[in-house]
Amino acid sequence: MQLRTLLELMLLIFPPKPSESFFCSWGGGPSQPDLFDPKDYIKKMHGQKVTPPIKDHQLRTGVEKFLALAPGVPVRPRGNCGMMISDLMPNLASVADDLCMLRAMQADSKSHPTATLQMHTGVITEARPSLGSWIGYGLGSENNNLPGFLTIHPQADVRTYGSGFLPASFQGTPLTVPKDNNTPAIKYLTDNESDDTKQRSRLKLLQGMNLRLLERYQRDTQMEGIISSFELAYRMQVATPELVDISAESKETLNLYGIGSGPTDRNGKACLLARRLSEAGVRFIQVTIDGWDHHGNIRSALPHSCKGSDQPVAALITDLKRRGMLDDTLVIWTGEFGRSPWSQDLSGTSPIATHGREHQQESFCTILAGAGVKPGITYGETDDFGFLPVAGKVHLHDLHATILHLLGLDHKRLTHRHAGRDFRLTDVYGRVVKEILA
Amino acid sequence: MILRLLILFVVLFAMLSVHCANLISEDTAQPNPTAGTLFFKKQVFPILKKRCFECHSHESGEINGGLALDSRSGWELGGDSGPAIVPGETKQSLIIETIRYGNVDLQMPPDGKLPESEIILLEKWVAMGAPDPRRTDPVISKKGIDIEAGRKHWAFQPVRVPKVPDVTETNWPLDEIDSFLLAKLELDQLHPADDTNRYTWLRRISLDLTGLPPTPQEIEAFIADSSDDAYARVADRLLDSRAYGERWARHWLDLTGYADQIGTANKVYAEYGWRYRDYLIDAFNSDKPFNQFIREQIAGDLLPGTVEERAAAITATGFLLLDNIEVGESDKMKLVVDVVDQQLIKVGTAFLGMTLGCARCHDHKFDPISQNEYYALAGIFMSTDSTHKVKYGVWSGIRSAQLPETTAQQTERDLKTQKHNKQLTTWIQTRAAIRKKADALEKESDERKKLEAQIPNLNRNIQHAEFFVPTAPRAYAVGDVEKPSDMRITIRGNPHALGEVVPRGFLKVISYSPPNKIPANQSGRLELANWIASPQNPLTARVTVNRIWQKLFGEGLVRSSDYFGLRGESPSHPDLLDFLAHRFVQNGWSQRKLIRSLVLSRAYRMGGTYNPQAVAKDPENRLLWRIAPQRLDAESLRDSLLLVAGTLQPSSGGPALALEYPENVSGLGPNNVNPPSFHLNKYHPGQKSQRTIYLPILRSGAQPAPAELRNLFDFTQPAEIAGQRPITTVPTQALFLMNSSEIKKRAAELAARTATLDGKPIEPSKRIEKLWLLTYSRPISKEEKAETLNFLNSQTDTQSAWTDLCHVLLASNEFLMRL
Repeated sequence: MQLRTLLELMLLIFPPKPSESFFCSWGGGPSQPDLFDPKDYIKKMHGQKVTPPIKDHQLRTGVEKFLALAPGVPVRPRGNCGMMISDLMPNLASVADDLCMLRAMQADSKSHPTATLQMHTGVITEARPSLGSWIGYGLGSENNNLPGFLTIHPQADVRTYGSGFLPASFQGTPLTVPKDNNTPAIKYLTDNESDDTKQRSRLKLLQGMNLRLLERYQRDTQMEGIISSFELAYRMQVATPELVDISAESKETLNLYGIGSGPTDRNGKACLLARRLSEAGVRFIQVTIDGWDHHGNIRSALPHSCKGSDQPVAALITDLKRRGMLDDTLVIWTGEFGRSPWSQDLSGTSPIATHGREHQQESFCTILAGAGVKPGITYGETDDFGFLPVAGKVHLHDLHATILHLLGLDHKRLTHRHAGRDFRLTDVYGRVVKEILA
Repeated sequence: MILRLLILFVVLFAMLSVHCANLISEDTAQPNPTAGTLFFKKQVFPILKKRCFECHSHESGEINGGLALDSRSGWELGGDSGPAIVPGETKQSLIIETIRYGNVDLQMPPDGKLPESEIILLEKWVAMGAPDPRRTDPVISKKGIDIEAGRKHWAFQPVRVPKVPDVTETNWPLDEIDSFLLAKLELDQLHPADDTNRYTWLRRISLDLTGLPPTPQEIEAFIADSSDDAYARVADRLLDSRAYGERWARHWLDLTGYADQIGTANKVYAEYGWRYRDYLIDAFNSDKPFNQFIREQIAGDLLPGTVEERAAAITATGFLLLDNIEVGESDKMKLVVDVVDQQLIKVGTAFLGMTLGCARCHDHKFDPISQNEYYALAGIFMSTDSTHKVKYGVWSGIRSAQLPETTAQQTERDLKTQKHNKQLTTWIQTRAAIRKKADALEKESDERKKLEAQIPNLNRNIQHAEFFVPTAPRAYAVGDVEKPSDMRITIRGNPHALGEVVPRGFLKVISYSPPNKIPANQSGRLELANWIASPQNPLTARVTVNRIWQKLFGEGLVRSSDYFGLRGESPSHPDLLDFLAHRFVQNGWSQRKLIRSLVLSRAYRMGGTYNPQAVAKDPENRLLWRIAPQRLDAESLRDSLLLVAGTLQPSSGGPALALEYPENVSGLGPNNVNPPSFHLNKYHPGQKSQRTIYLPILRSGAQPAPAELRNLFDFTQPAEIAGQRPITTVPTQALFLMNSSEIKKRAAELAARTATLDGKPIEPSKRIEKLWLLTYSRPISKEEKAETLNFLNSQTDTQSAWTDLCHVLLASNEFLMRL
């Protein structure tokens, strides 16, 4: 077990043809027993020992007592579909009929860095291409002034948006919601020390010198590539500030996302920015939202995490829908794993009310919405504990295969030859989850 | 092993649709169908076809998990998890467990359980003894590896001693290497490019050998040197410099997964990692023979030697450990087999150019390496001690060993310990004194609060000093386990699903003499190292000379430099490759001698000018008709920026992480469930201006600020084992070069250092000349001079005009590239 105080919710968005798509995901292990998959048995046994079918070769810390931990806040059926969503997520609950809940998701690692990497690249170690890179590789770009894959407030591990052995042009470009007018959204985007005229005169001299060198060599693809990269960089520099400037959005929209003040401001801006980038033709956008790793005190900490993200994420669905974008946009929202139905107590002496939950990759919840996905369904079921899948298990590889399928890509045919072997996102695994396709 | 049924049941499958007819062979020799075969035909086959063939048949092209169900032998041999059916035994038959969804990790079909009626039919069939009349399909019978056939691949054949070819243009070659190259060019009626000028050559060799451009003094000295051995003198000067080791050690680090961090979680620091990095620098600077270099990195702990030699050799085994080891893995058996896998992959890639990891779950799909051979090698690393459980939570640590110390080192350490203890005692006494003084004061008094405010800082210092007690030098190093043993196959890499035991050994396809026997009480690493470092091993020398060639000529003679297997690329000049491999071994595996001969070749002197005729015949420059310009790698770029700006600080190595500062470490408390972690708040004095190889490397790939350009310019991430870096061009690099404070700082420093000479301002045209010599390593042309003066005059602010000019020079292609 590892502790990390900051964890994240991730939101990936991409508008491809024929359908567009947003990939949203909760990182850090949001607590599905508290939010989406409550169990009567756990409720009944609250505070008492349960005996889940756990294999004994896993070391665990602070969970040896296996005390059932009931959700602190009710989880109820929502909308016409009756999807189970906690009172902690009232806004998400209001769009339940637009969502598709996978309740028996599974991944391979119990540790944040490896599990997060797997969610993005399919593998636990190494530096393979990330989902966004594969999609850019498969579908190409739609905007000439911006990279095709942007990641808002990304993970520290650059491999989560790296292009691995695919060309670097498919890697994700990190983007920050600007705090003020002086902070660039993309690193090094602006020259803070000199004005535009100066920069242009420098660039003119630079490109002149580069062209003279190129003349000496007549032709050279690397030199030519660098020359055009400066041109694109300059265009990015001009195009990006306009795009990330949300002041033109209506007050009503800003309110919808919870932008202005309070815990929803940062994530609201990130989600709104995601929509704007999507409209501008960026193929794949990812948003990371911190704060789901509740090893202790989950009952007091989880409401806080929910507050910061519930409204912005629900607003994104609502906003996309009313703009007619949800039909060709895929939204996916997931953590890299979930949390245990039993409690974790690292001190060994705290009362159950202050316990947290341990990581759980055996089952967790993922939400999809939009293009090509059946709305208002819950797919997959876990056992009486909420531990092992008993039906409708969807492994991360299956989720990847399904995402590619929804974008018109065959996960078995989207390959790249590297070191003598054809690699793919789903390695040798993956099944398209046909049951959730509209 | 399962019992095979002796009788092949026979039946006519009149009912079957046409497209399965080829899968179900009919044997008309036995005319009477039995009840069993009829049952199979009527009840079982339709279920298999409908429910399983999509993923488990040759017809669909999918043999998932290695299991084919379209023939009898398919389920008899089974897939990666073993035989699918034990005839007559439903409980022992994996297929029944799987369709019953009895094992949550293996549920078939994956998209939903079969109807109960179908499950019952299949159970009945298995209970009957699984009558199945379909003939064994030879295509899917488990094939053995055909060693003799495998040896036909060029890379697995013994290294030959090829004859140096004759050439027409006899005055071109300076070395035999040139004759090999020229002969092929002449065959295609191509000419090598004209020699480049001396300035370009000097800049090229300086960047290639040391990662730094030449200084103006070095340029002047070489241009003035008209003697015959001027070129050789430069090569020797560069190869004698520490900078040579600093550059080439980094090339090797690309093959190791090195970082100053253990695993990716919680910033666990690899405090002794730097010793391996320094070992590499020394190894290149002292021209350690490559066969010894191999032996030390694989089995240095088992080698004899003097105190210094032993310390170096033990440190060298860090090669096996300084990788992405996920010490937070809670399943310790999984950790152990995953580390073994990493070690095997690394040894295979770095020394042999083979992808051994491919044979972990099945025989290698392309290369003649069986799954058994993987486990024969894996047993060697399974018998090697690499990780151990530590006291924190679920965490493990990687193994370290105390290094033998010389008397001088011991004395130095004793002094350090004395100093340390004295400091610690002072802090403890000060703390006690403050407490005593404070206790005597009134509780809420300002004076008391002021005194007590000093305590947290003292606490931190004391805790830090008690934790980091000076110890004898340690390095990450492996050792043999107490009871070395052979390893069992792990099914799909799952350490809880074990197959047969495989005796330790080596790859047959590249063994041309019987390898030494592995003693029962040893891991076998020494025998492995000797087997790899043997002149008879057809891969080791070839792979190594090709790596060196690649670093000097841009691409290898074999472009897939990390993979020499069947799917790898063929050498452009097979004879030259063998000539170099042979010469390398003859010269005592000296990398320095090899490099020297390559940089002094005529080929290395060629210019880079485009040639339409040559492009038409050989667009990829495989025949090497020119030296293609190439962008600098991340380290060269940063180090060159520092050098020309005049801010590069020399270093003699040492720890990358400044753990001696309490603000750089957290989690030292005794009851933590996580190991202590580092935070890069503070660097060693001057460290930020040292060469990039001395800066910390993080596993996340987001490299810290002093050399963050690594994140943009294709630095090999520590998760990769890759001997060749891609050279990519993305707009974020251009943004860095246009706007980053890093580039602006260097520009300002460069402008400042060229502003004066001996305290007097330099006049503009002389200053420009100096700038050109510093950044482009050549004199400025007339045209450039005019253009530059024009630029300077057009700027309103003279001060910033010079900085802007320097900025442009540092961001321009001629500085970014090695021509």
